[in-house]
Amino acid sequence: MNINQIKMFASGTLTTLELTLVSMFIGTMLGLVLALGRISKIKAINRIVWTYVWFFRGTPLLLQIMIVYYGVPLILKDIFGRATALPMFIAGCLALILNTGAYLAEIFRAGIESIDKGQMEAAKALGMSYRQAMFKVIIPQTIKRLIPPYSNEFTMILKDSSLVSVIGLTELARQANQLANGTGNWVFLFYAAGVYLFLTTISTVIFNKLEKRYSVYL
Amino acid sequence: MIKVENVDKYFGKLHVLKNVDFHVDPGEVVCVIGPSGSGKSTLLRCLNHLERITNGKIYIGGELVDYRENDRDKMVIEHEKVVAMCGELGMVFQRFNLFPHKTAVENLMLAPMTVKKIDKATAREKAMDLLKMVGLSDKADEYPVRLSGGQQQRVAIARALAMEPKIMLFDEPTSALDPELVGEVLAVMKKLALSGMTMMVVTHEMGFAREVASRVVFMDEGVILEEAPPNEFFGNPKNERLKSFLKKMI
Repeated sequence: MNINQIKMFASGTLTTLELTLVSMFIGTMLGLVLALGRISKIKAINRIVWTYVWFFRGTPLLLQIMIVYYGVPLILKDIFGRATALPMFIAGCLALILNTGAYLAEIFRAGIESIDKGQMEAAKALGMSYRQAMFKVIIPQTIKRLIPPYSNEFTMILKDSSLVSVIGLTELARQANQLANGTGNWVFLFYAAGVYLFLTTISTVIFNKLEKRYSVYL
Repeated sequence: MIKVENVDKYFGKLHVLKNVDFHVDPGEVVCVIGPSGSGKSTLLRCLNHLERITNGKIYIGGELVDYRENDRDKMVIEHEKVVAMCGELGMVFQRFNLFPHKTAVENLMLAPMTVKKIDKATAREKAMDLLKMVGLSDKADEYPVRLSGGQQQRVAIARALAMEPKIMLFDEPTSALDPELVGEVLAVMKKLALSGMTMMVVTHEMGFAREVASRVVFMDEGVILEEAPPNEFFGNPKNERLKSFLKKMI
């Protein structure tokens, strides 16, 4: 690997990391809102969230990326008469956010529903509102239980971010493939695998540490 | 202080409370006894909106706080009023329901800080006083999982008291405890009663009812069948079902 190739590799890795971190950060907030909608007593909200989750978990992420990047401008054109394509990185992030939001919503919902009903009753008996009880009592207790499935979802998005290469975004996998094709040296693909393994290992270690730290009270 | 008028409660088709009239006066300690499924816990839970009544009226401190007919509100109660009302009522649960992610002292501090917006230092000071009152100053920084059942229930009592309620509701507070831990919880409750707190206690502890209660109420199948001061209640029960219930209990 010469210096130029190393630079290209590094920039691909950086793009993958950016895609993953941005998507997981915003996706987590989306997932939380969706989860609260899913357990809401208002039927309409419930139905809407259910349909959303049904769609995004039931169709391939690859297809969702294509829809966001190629499909949405076409829809906008039909409505406003003017096609505006999203920048590649934004489109990639958006697709990943929408997808991980659906998965995280189900993870969060299961977490919230696993907390004993007596906790909500105790909070209410102490005069707390639903919102106060949710954010001060229920959700903090779910964190420990959520870390393993959340860690799993993080790893999935880290790897599946490679799918955005289909719209031409040069992240780690695409970069490695281009280098391999350009030089005829397939070892670049294994380098990429090494970087992915390195990143997934680090994230797993961090999440394991977090899980230990949250185990004090159980 | 508490007044319940013509209250009905249905769970689906099941008629759990049947036209119940009931009251608790200031300073009274009312013990409610009866077989399981008699509606005594439901009555307690209806008082602070953990269950909603189907028909009837509930007054707390002279204020109408719930008035429903056929499951529909006959009056709109603003959120502030419900909160204010819950402030008047402290509740202790059968299974403690302490917040497991908070230490004992934090359990006591959470509601005053969240609901009443009391600052942390004041809340902690107050919490420590209450823990001292229930004899658990040395356990302030332990998580609930490290406490025995009796200690957890004493923390739960202190937690309810931290909101400075005027009335304390106890829903079978000793039923989930090992026999040797019952005494310490009852001792705290007795101390509270002697301090003049108005209390409503759903319990199977006949000894406590006999010793501490100012009035004992017997409920069966959603109906209040007898109420009397403990001497008369235990010494000269009139209702047939109460007689057979007491025979089985003692």
